[in-house]
Amino acid sequence: MLAVDMTGDAVKAKNGAMVAYDGEMTFKKRTGGGEGLRGMVTRRLTGEQMEVMEVKGRGTCYFADRASEINLVSLHGEKLYVEASNLLCTDSALRTGTTFTGLRGASQGNGLFTTSVEGTGQAAILSDGTAIVLRVTPQTPLQVDPGAYIAHTGNLKQHFQSGVNFRTFIGEGSGEAFQIRFEGDGLVYVQPSERNTIGGDV
Amino acid sequence: MNGPEIYDAQTLPSDDNVNSYAFSVDLDGQWFLQKGKMVAYYGQIDFHGIGLGRLDSLIAHSFHSPLHASDWVVAEGRGKMVLADRAFDVNSYDLEDGNLTVRSGNLLAFQPSLSLKQSIIPGFLTLIGTGKFVAASNGPVVFVEPPIRVDPQALVGWADCPSPCHHYDHQYLRGVLGGVRAWTGIGGTSGEEHQFEFVGSGTVLLQSTEELMPELATGAVPQQEGVPNATGANQPSQPGGSGQLGALQRRFGL
Repeated sequence: MLAVDMTGDAVKAKNGAMVAYDGEMTFKKRTGGGEGLRGMVTRRLTGEQMEVMEVKGRGTCYFADRASEINLVSLHGEKLYVEASNLLCTDSALRTGTTFTGLRGASQGNGLFTTSVEGTGQAAILSDGTAIVLRVTPQTPLQVDPGAYIAHTGNLKQHFQSGVNFRTFIGEGSGEAFQIRFEGDGLVYVQPSERNTIGGDV
Repeated sequence: MNGPEIYDAQTLPSDDNVNSYAFSVDLDGQWFLQKGKMVAYYGQIDFHGIGLGRLDSLIAHSFHSPLHASDWVVAEGRGKMVLADRAFDVNSYDLEDGNLTVRSGNLLAFQPSLSLKQSIIPGFLTLIGTGKFVAASNGPVVFVEPPIRVDPQALVGWADCPSPCHHYDHQYLRGVLGGVRAWTGIGGTSGEEHQFEFVGSGTVLLQSTEELMPELATGAVPQQEGVPNATGANQPSQPGGSGQLGALQRRFGL
């Protein structure tokens, strides 16, 4: 559960994630992820729909979603890429948008697009079990199971890596045939659990 | 910066837990792991399905369960590998020239110095030898010593002691009324009429919930959760079934 202290400022949060609050709060639904008409259309087109509300007021507001773990990420001008379903709450100073991720997104069963959060402030992301933060450096690239990936920051290049060979097709696959390979400099957030993915059983 | 600790290829623990839900393997050589439990890795690691191939001799040495072959892979290479299972608690255990039997769905990975065999009890796997293995449990694991009777759903595994036997409440088995009760459920059942009984010396591993981890299709799956190779005939808490009818007939002396 996440507690947010507010003194007249606002946060953007997943619609319906508020579980309790004290003080004075107003909740306002922001159509189309709070990014205006263009954002709304983009999100509808890309399947990264995000039901967002703006919470404003004085006091403490508590957010939670299906007893998932919540991880706070501080941003200082950099960009955080996160799956829309894993984004719980952001400072209203942070801009959200939609980015193309290519084949990687498709393998996660989460569509070809992902949500980006940019600016200075804090964002709260959800994970099934405590998230593990792994640093990627040019010397140490990282491979991540598509189902366990939740978010990343920094200047990272993603490759889709597949170990499919003829044995996959005769039912002797390794179950780890698909990975996302991260190269560059940055942090990757991984959850200790796997979503169902297209490549999961291969 | 507040927030979780940041790990990189060097600071990731070596053969130890990252947090209660994830385990980091310092791989230099080979490990067996169940499919789909790898979450992330650094370095150069290949995953091979178990079957014919150049890993033949390794498999001949440490894998003896054809039923489960399709659910296991060999990770080979050098690097750090993070293992996790559906956000369940994960623990590593060291075996020294010992044996340990564990529910097949709970076992995540093991070193090839151990040898994996199918337990006589269906749905369980036995590890024999010396080495490290990683197993998951729904909630933390509790270690107890026999003699003890445990709930079938709470059992994770056991080490060094003889295989368990079924134990049924005597009161519950006795008489016609008991039979009717068992068969129909009328009159109420406590749900605790059946236990696994352990005797001898050793250690029994229990998880702190009676909710089984969703069973993966690993080999022959028990028909009722928690009870290996269950049929209606030996399930007192399950109403119906022709096996129950047979038992009733026996009670009536037919």
